[in-house]
Amino acid sequence: MSDDELIERAAEELRRPVRMDPAVDARVMATVHALPRLGAARGGSGWWAWLTQPLTVRFSPLGALGGAMAVLIAAVVLVPRLTPDDGPGGVAMTTALSEAELIAGSDSTHMVQFVFVAPTAHSVSLVGDFNNWEMDATPLSAGPSRSVWTVRLPLANGRHRYAFVVDDSTWAADPSAPPAAGDDFGVPSSVITVAERSS
Amino acid sequence: MRYSMRWLAGVVLLVGAPLGAQDARLEQRLDAATAARVGAIVDSARAAGLPTRPLTSKALEGASKGAPGARIIAAVSRLAQGLRSARDVLGPSTDAELDAAASALMLGVRAEEVAAVRGARSGERLTVPLAVLADLVAYGVPSDAATQAVVQLAGRSEDEALLDFRRDVERDIALGAPPAAAAAVRLNSAGRLESDLTTQQIGIPPPKPRKP
Repeated sequence: MSDDELIERAAEELRRPVRMDPAVDARVMATVHALPRLGAARGGSGWWAWLTQPLTVRFSPLGALGGAMAVLIAAVVLVPRLTPDDGPGGVAMTTALSEAELIAGSDSTHMVQFVFVAPTAHSVSLVGDFNNWEMDATPLSAGPSRSVWTVRLPLANGRHRYAFVVDDSTWAADPSAPPAAGDDFGVPSSVITVAERSS
Repeated sequence: MRYSMRWLAGVVLLVGAPLGAQDARLEQRLDAATAARVGAIVDSARAAGLPTRPLTSKALEGASKGAPGARIIAAVSRLAQGLRSARDVLGPSTDAELDAAASALMLGVRAEEVAAVRGARSGERLTVPLAVLADLVAYGVPSDAATQAVVQLAGRSEDEALLDFRRDVERDIALGAPPAAAAAVRLNSAGRLESDLTTQQIGIPPPKPRKP
């Protein structure tokens, strides 16, 4: 017997339909109905049982790819709306982590996020011409790592000078913002420009 | 007569309220002599039609930073002079424009360079171009190179493009590029990009790449 004949016979055998007992479906379903329901076993019923019941989700590779694409598209569309960004009608100078970032705003004011990295600080305050340079007016909040300090506040259009005060004593300019003109007092400050979007 | 006196008192209160509030702020944070001198500078600026908020803010900044009174007075006086010079160059302008122009002038930008920026955007908002000019000079870009860049960009670009330009130059400088070279390269790049966009917009196909 040649190899081709052998393969053809094996394939013919595999193509032949499997004959099953017609009663097998009924027996399987009877067994399934006889099993205790998961929700009932936990003492729950109705919607709670449905919510807590484990589900097996099956999908094809093509379906998985489609789902991943949908998530990616949603991220591209939604994330810019959730992260610091140019708000309607406004732009601001933003670059790195420690620079103030524009989030959103109206025509004349904009929400700006100030970020300062100070891993060893116990407190960080933002002082500037928008809060009369008062050291306790605008404290920053530490993130979970206690390294990144942030605060958001509305700023009017224009140029604002500011600095950070660490532990109520150490002044620090924003390392990634332009330095303010004229270091008049021996302690450098930074500057942010908030401007209307050109029409 | 009774109503007249009440009306007069009301007018005095209304007119004096901003001044009083400002004086109170200065008096709370500065010693009496310094507050008086700063108040006089602020009043003079107000009479000249200059913005007073930057002056008050400068005094409060000095107070918070623990500067001596003489230094605060000198700083406020210097800023008032800067605002006055800015107004002389720009003419009628918004407070934000004068503030930005004063910053540029105080950083060493020449009056004719500020005027060139004004000329590049006649009748339009100047706050961002002037602020970018000041920022570039603060980063070490020579004022003539910074002015050339801002004038070129301000005449043909929106504020966002100017801010992007400033950000790119700042990044290049932070990475070690000489400030003047950073500005020149980024300006050249911006011009090339705009040229490419214009070519595409009017339907002219880009030139075919040549064989080496």
